[in-house]
Amino acid sequence: MKFAKYVGLRILTWALTIWIGVTFIFFVPRMFPSDPVENMIGRIQSRSGQMDPLEMESLRKSLRIQFGLEGSLLEQYVSFLKKGLLQFDFGPSLMSFPTPVGDIIKTYLPYTLGLMLMTTIFSWLIGNFIGLQAGFRKKQLSSKFLEGVAICIYPVPYFIVALVLQIVFAFLLGWFPLQSTIITMGGFVIFIKSLLRASILPGVSLLLVGTGWWIISMKSLSGTVAEEDFVLYARYRGLSEGRIGWSYVLRNSIITQVTALAMSLGGVFSGSIMTEIIFGYPGVGTLIQKAILQSDYNMILGCITISIVAIATATLIVDLIYPLIDPRIRYS
Amino acid sequence: MLKVENLSTSYKTIDGDVHVLENLSFEIYENEIFGIAGESGCGKTTLLKTLYDIIDFPMQIDGGRVLLSGKKNGDLFSYESGRIRDAWWKNISYVPQAAQSVLNPISRLKSQFLDSIPEEDKRSETKEETLERVARYLEELSLSRDLLHAFPFQLSGGMRQRVIIALATFMSPNVVLADEPTTALDVVVQRGILAMLMRLQKELQNTMVVVSHDMGVHYQVTKRMGIMYSGSFAELGGTDDIFDDPIHPYTKMLIGALPRVGDTSQKVGIPGRPPALTDPPPGCRFAPRCPHSNERCRQEVPEFREVRPGRFVACHFAEKVKIDDRKAAGS
Repeated sequence: MKFAKYVGLRILTWALTIWIGVTFIFFVPRMFPSDPVENMIGRIQSRSGQMDPLEMESLRKSLRIQFGLEGSLLEQYVSFLKKGLLQFDFGPSLMSFPTPVGDIIKTYLPYTLGLMLMTTIFSWLIGNFIGLQAGFRKKQLSSKFLEGVAICIYPVPYFIVALVLQIVFAFLLGWFPLQSTIITMGGFVIFIKSLLRASILPGVSLLLVGTGWWIISMKSLSGTVAEEDFVLYARYRGLSEGRIGWSYVLRNSIITQVTALAMSLGGVFSGSIMTEIIFGYPGVGTLIQKAILQSDYNMILGCITISIVAIATATLIVDLIYPLIDPRIRYS
Repeated sequence: MLKVENLSTSYKTIDGDVHVLENLSFEIYENEIFGIAGESGCGKTTLLKTLYDIIDFPMQIDGGRVLLSGKKNGDLFSYESGRIRDAWWKNISYVPQAAQSVLNPISRLKSQFLDSIPEEDKRSETKEETLERVARYLEELSLSRDLLHAFPFQLSGGMRQRVIIALATFMSPNVVLADEPTTALDVVVQRGILAMLMRLQKELQNTMVVVSHDMGVHYQVTKRMGIMYSGSFAELGGTDDIFDDPIHPYTKMLIGALPRVGDTSQKVGIPGRPPALTDPPPGCRFAPRCPHSNERCRQEVPEFREVRPGRFVACHFAEKVKIDDRKAAGS
């Protein structure tokens, strides 16, 4: 009963977060003094000279409908909530008119998700494993070495790591393409091959930097837990180091790391922008970049909405997993 | 039985070694509760750690040794400093200070009990059988078997301390070391914990060492006790004997400062502070605070000697002080 209430409350918070976020991104652009429709008409006019006023009026009207700008503000808002949130329909993309925004995002999303989820989860696993060794067995040479490597890599800004990889392996050595294309036609083998060629370099760059961070954070977490009274007392009871490491140190320090993992999973969209731009990887990141450059309002709105839903959902999942790994929350 | 021979320990610090225990020699016998008393910073916990063989940097043994020997299930055993670790939990166990934080906060007590039982003790049984043994043991100690399914944060402070005592005594070790077992508990719970320790000792017929700064605890529980001052024993002997007739001036002042029922006189503290262990005074370390001290005390370290059977005192005037006091009382 108590648990049902807990879950219900979390789901309510989840829905509320999404609603507030989406409301913001709906209203903020509408408070700008510039009107996207007038901008567009201005652009068309500057390109093709004066237009017939009647023609212009009908163009304005159809643009308003496409932008979802017809009717009062409240009507627009309600129809945005209904279409955007429930059906993921954000209208047509303006840069590749008239394909719907939802369809374009759907084609790019799997590549971004695949790359980002894989690298985030693997770097989390590897980083926490090494970090635990480094924090719990401080004196071991191998853990000192790996920690040293992490400390060297981590502070280097991500784009430098990415650029160095790109310059060395794609430009100088030519092992990988400078601009990746994923060939979806021509059979499964060709598809996988092109996918691997496109994603190895960005994957490695994300793994390097991500693992470095997880090593450092886990090292300091487990290092603190390893000094706790209950770990010392476990040692005084004659428990094996393996047992202490697993069920006393790891289980107590991983709780924080699970939260951090979910947070970074929620941030995969924004995190993917730089990677995808540097490596020319086709994904939501490059899509957002293009949309911003070409003022594709519908596309921007669609991408941000998906990002908000993703982050809120990741938080919800953490909240639901938390009681499973931490009994103190389960019983309070 | 625990035998300490010429034990000296120190802590490595930036300003050089700080000698905490200096040339300690004494014995703790089988089937007794032995108390270690003294004020904060006098070396009680250091001594207990050395007895239990927790010697980690920056602490080190400069000389001497601790010998743990006895008989369990018909087998004789003997371990000395450096090897006592091998006897942990089977022959010697430890009830730590700060019982509030010594249990893993996120695992059930049953798994912490299982963790603490050595493999060779449970090799022929299933997990359920072992847990059943633990549950029966808890019931013997008037604790509920449901505790096994609880998490530490669900228990009160006193209950946690009881569980830890149960944990430390489940393997019926020959020696149980308890570091301030009643600190941070109210007097009613204290009484329960002390009664539990006494009952356990009676049943196990083993050795219990209780460290406490509370003289009242020693009076209630211990059979013999040692009073530490600045890294070594000032006085050691039977508890009743010491309370009836304290010999060392420090002990005298300690006991004189205890409130007693019906006694309405103003209590006086001991003037001054214990010396810093980084720079102890030459001679008797209590001399600067001692009303009886003279030139000899300030230069010559008094020998820790047996002034009468079973009674050890480190004071140049162990015999004389007594006579002086009698005179004072008579006149």
